[in-house]
Amino acid sequence: MNWFRADLHIHSVLSACASLEMSPRRIVTEARRAGLDLIAVCDHNAGENGRYVRRIARGSPAVLLGMEIQTQEEVEVLAYFEDEEACFALQEELYRHLPKIPCRPDLFGDQVVVDEEDEIVRTVDRLLLSPVSLPLEEVVRRVEALGGLAIPAHVDRVPGGLLAVLGLLPEGDWPQGVEIAPWTPVSEALARWPNLSGKAIFRSSDAHVPEEIGRGWTDLYIAAPELSELRAAIEGKGGRLVRPGPEVKEV
Amino acid sequence: MKLAEVIERLGLEVLVPGDLGRRVRWGFCSDLLSDVLAHAQEGDLWITHQRHLNVVAVAKLKGVAGVVCVRGLHPSQEVLAKARKEGVTVLASAEDAFEVAGKLYGLLSP
Repeated sequence: MNWFRADLHIHSVLSACASLEMSPRRIVTEARRAGLDLIAVCDHNAGENGRYVRRIARGSPAVLLGMEIQTQEEVEVLAYFEDEEACFALQEELYRHLPKIPCRPDLFGDQVVVDEEDEIVRTVDRLLLSPVSLPLEEVVRRVEALGGLAIPAHVDRVPGGLLAVLGLLPEGDWPQGVEIAPWTPVSEALARWPNLSGKAIFRSSDAHVPEEIGRGWTDLYIAAPELSELRAAIEGKGGRLVRPGPEVKEV
Repeated sequence: MKLAEVIERLGLEVLVPGDLGRRVRWGFCSDLLSDVLAHAQEGDLWITHQRHLNVVAVAKLKGVAGVVCVRGLHPSQEVLAKARKEGVTVLASAEDAFEVAGKLYGLLSP
């Protein structure tokens, strides 16, 4: 086993709120610059650009398909997939549960699918940054049914953080891993929310512009940079470890 | 004012009765449960769009007089069962949060 540096929350040009510089090609360049071994591209309710990031990266860094899902409660959940088709199947299901709000680029920004040659594949007209009409537990169930891994995003943050929105962790086994906001010290998160102790705590960049990629990271002690190992690390299996990096200072 | 009277005056639907003899201190409007945990007070009538199971836990923890689900939104049977178990009053209104809060303010303000 080895230490692998991961940034598992990066937005691309498919997120209206992200910079138009966040093309798949640029994301790979910046991830290499930041010394990342594993990344996940998580756009709002969409995972399509991850495919092109993965094709460009060719394993350096390893790329998980992903998305940041907004549930009916307006809780944001990160979903990770190894399998592209599973990710796209979920993306289609979510699209059917998205409100039909047009994305006005002058107000919200552009939502663009860009391929490995920097060519525009398509633009998405419906605003992706909206809650789907599915409750949190149903979203988690669907992610897991498709072989994905779901962890709540920046749990302490308003808007969208699980603990900010729902006040307490939900009943049951989920989640075993949580992401905290880039700027929250781990000790502060644990002091404010004591029941996070025992959970695998992740830090990521939540990058919306190229320079932010790798500003927050998590070191993983795992056998290989892939989803099954990430899952095993969250479960603490076989000496695997999840170690969040330091908080981001400049905000 | 007693909860039963508030229910009658606002025309609220009772989904889970709980203790209808309780006094309603004031109202509190929020969909952020962390905000409710931090700022709602015992005896407040909590007006919200949230329908997650944690609503019951937060209502119980804070000792609110009841929860009003607005704009015709109804919690699931699971949430209502939990509320029955915990003795948390759950009410519903077809009106939106602004209207319910406005009417409640009219009833309770000195």
